[in-house]
Amino acid sequence: MTHLFRALPTLFRVGFADVVAYRAEMAIWVLTATMPLIMLALWNAVAAQGPVAGFGQVEMARYFAATLVVRQLTGAWILWQLNYLIRTGGLSPLLLRPLNPLTYEAVSMVVAMHFRMVILAPLVGALLWWRPELWKAPGWAAFGLFFVSVALAWLLSFLIQALFAMLAFWLDQSMGLFGVWFAAWGLLSGYFAPTAVFPAAWKPILEWLPFRGMLAVPVELLGGFLSARDALPQIGIQLGWTLTLAALAAFTWRRGLRRYGAYGA
Amino acid sequence: MVPDCGRILRVPAALLRISLATAMQYRSDFIFEGLTGVVRTGATVAALLLVYLHRQEVAGWTLPEALLVMAFFLVMSSVVQAFFEPNLGAVVEQIRQGTLDLLLMKPADAQLLVSASRMAPARLWDALAGIGLGAWCLWHLPTRPGADDVLVALALFACGMVAMYGLWILAICTSFKFVRVDNLRFLLMSVSDAGRWPLAIFSGWVRVLLVIVVPVGVVTSFPAMALRGAWTVHLVLAAAGAALLFAVGSRLAWKRSLASYTSASS
Repeated sequence: MTHLFRALPTLFRVGFADVVAYRAEMAIWVLTATMPLIMLALWNAVAAQGPVAGFGQVEMARYFAATLVVRQLTGAWILWQLNYLIRTGGLSPLLLRPLNPLTYEAVSMVVAMHFRMVILAPLVGALLWWRPELWKAPGWAAFGLFFVSVALAWLLSFLIQALFAMLAFWLDQSMGLFGVWFAAWGLLSGYFAPTAVFPAAWKPILEWLPFRGMLAVPVELLGGFLSARDALPQIGIQLGWTLTLAALAAFTWRRGLRRYGAYGA
Repeated sequence: MVPDCGRILRVPAALLRISLATAMQYRSDFIFEGLTGVVRTGATVAALLLVYLHRQEVAGWTLPEALLVMAFFLVMSSVVQAFFEPNLGAVVEQIRQGTLDLLLMKPADAQLLVSASRMAPARLWDALAGIGLGAWCLWHLPTRPGADDVLVALALFACGMVAMYGLWILAICTSFKFVRVDNLRFLLMSVSDAGRWPLAIFSGWVRVLLVIVVPVGVVTSFPAMALRGAWTVHLVLAAAGAALLFAVGSRLAWKRSLASYTSASS
């Protein structure tokens, strides 16, 4: 553990240099996240006839603006990275390092997030200047919990992606399986629509599934839709899923590495 | 020089045969792709169903009509992912490795070769889902479209696809200049997602952008409007204009970028 902390400053420097080297590519990645705007157009037209489940046009705009921000803050691409490393054998030299390759990748993604914020900040600033009614101060407690919740949401996406990537130790089609997961995630995490618009019977199920913890919980905290008191049990669920998936990932990683060695890489 | 029409068709047909043969080597992948396609389609349709839980109609479009737009979107995006998108990736790779030179030496039009060099036929499952969805919608439309409406819809869809093809060729042209634009295709795909909904839900200037800048509106909304019997001469002219603009524009851009291309090896 201590040598990880000693290595951190260097890892940060290396990660940042990497991001800056491919800055145009990174900027395009930020721009690809247009889905919240497209969903906003749809729900804005719906809310024009009156509020839906408590969401008027202003609330819809605030919800999807928060989605745009949270989506950038929780971006991970370990699935593609690790899948590529496993299939091409590029993982082998990384295993010789005294640091777990997953930790290394995790740090580089956290670093890239800072760069994303640099691109995102003026966009959000311009948006709030154009439509100041979109900002609703969430209160200090909720704002603090937002940071906890967004960190957990990032960890959840990272772990899920890492797990799907590790399937490549055994299967050829791990990317396709992730496509199925991603479709379900879009619908159930609050990415396509606030989960409040689902039929009432779905709500308890949605709260216990891991999807809301990956997006909707931090989004609702940031947009002021969720009070600090109501958020606590949901952050508890996020934490529970994070610990479960972390344990599962650690177990799968060990089993997968044994399997990886087995075909002589 | 007058282009030989038979050859213009024969070359892509041969390339398509090669892609199909490659795809058939990975049969389980091919089937698997179909299954995941069903789930993906289900999720996007479900997102629209959520809207219609709360409303009878949105911006004047009922559920079967809005699903009709979605059906055209599914066919369009599946054709794009099967035929246009893999080629952008292939060109970027070839420019970086210098192997594009080999392609340019072949005795056929380079744009033809580039736009058919790599295909992913497994992606066509989504088109089947789209056609199925479209058939269901036609059955449930309030008024059954006439034969002329169907013909106009097909013509509008064709115009839209030509315009989309031009857009992807333009994207390929940028790779001559900037090389590392692999992710430009993700940008194009994600902007095209706006074609899922009827144009009517967007505000005025976004609507214009979705016709003349990223012409997804022409492929998805225009044909659906025709099937509702709401097509006008203006609509047809706008679609034909977009098709012409993108076809001519992309051809000119292609010629220019090829003229300024100085291979990775020289």
